[in-house]
Amino acid sequence: MPRFFFNVRHRPGPAGLAEDHEGEELEDVAAAREHALSEARAMIERDQLVTVRNWMDCSFEITDEAGQHVLTVPFSGTVPEEANEERGTAILA
Amino acid sequence: MSQPQQATVRNRLLKALPPADFALLQPHLELIATELRLPLIKPNEQVKQLYFPESGFSSITTSGSDGRVEIGIIGREGLVGAIPLLLGSDRTPHDHFVQSPGEMLAIGTEALCAALDRSASLHKLLLRFAQVQHVQTAQTAFVNATYQIEVRLARWLLMCHDRLDGDELRLTHDFLSMMLGVQRSSATLAVQALEGHRLIKALRGRLTILNRDAMVALADDGYGLPEAEYARLIEGA
Repeated sequence: MPRFFFNVRHRPGPAGLAEDHEGEELEDVAAAREHALSEARAMIERDQLVTVRNWMDCSFEITDEAGQHVLTVPFSGTVPEEANEERGTAILA
Repeated sequence: MSQPQQATVRNRLLKALPPADFALLQPHLELIATELRLPLIKPNEQVKQLYFPESGFSSITTSGSDGRVEIGIIGREGLVGAIPLLLGSDRTPHDHFVQSPGEMLAIGTEALCAALDRSASLHKLLLRFAQVQHVQTAQTAFVNATYQIEVRLARWLLMCHDRLDGDELRLTHDFLSMMLGVQRSSATLAVQALEGHRLIKALRGRLTILNRDAMVALADDGYGLPEAEYARLIEGA
């Protein structure tokens, strides 16, 4: 399976890109896009960083093993996940 | 193989023991190599051995349906397995495994219990370590509830640095995200933030601490409480 790298753009300029050197093995570009959306959704829901004021300003700049740009996935493209019963949050839905 | 000598052991608990207490443990200590990810104590399984780390350190984690999160670290300041055993349980729901490879002095549960029965001072010192470990776990709860990820990363790296020889730590962001209980990309963002301020240097799979003082300042009240308790209770500072 090809490996995709999920670099996070959090502000303009070279210092505004957190480079992913590890990547994830995924079937194809569509799977990479799904992974980016799911990761972004979890980050918006649970993770807080001093250096990222607004997740909606962020995007994944996905590259392939050759370092070529594959796809940009803005965090604003996520929609809140349906309540996940396994996590017990269905009670609050 | 020769028995470990108190003058040359690196484990700070063993060093802090009165010589008579060390002598009770000495014949039962066995030096073992501890490679990365080696399970030391598995969740809900009887504790058969405890471990005094000489170098490297272990991670204590708890697991949920979303994966595992680290709740504590034990290195050469401690004894892996002290909490369940000293507090009267033969097992623990938490996973203990090697997070940084090195060497540990293993001791069988029965041998340690026999020594505890014979020495009130040994028992007291190990209970004091259990108290420090409890404070560390509580501190993890405080930090996770109060601070954002960069600060949590700084605290975690300081705890690792305290237990390492040198300034370099080998780890992936995937592993780091598990240790901090965050998404992998959030760990990548936090590493980049600390690197941008030259607190650390990150290379693929490796991380070097460049400015410890700045990291202590960043970690704020997140770092230092269990470390101070250790100094007070174990080393009499």
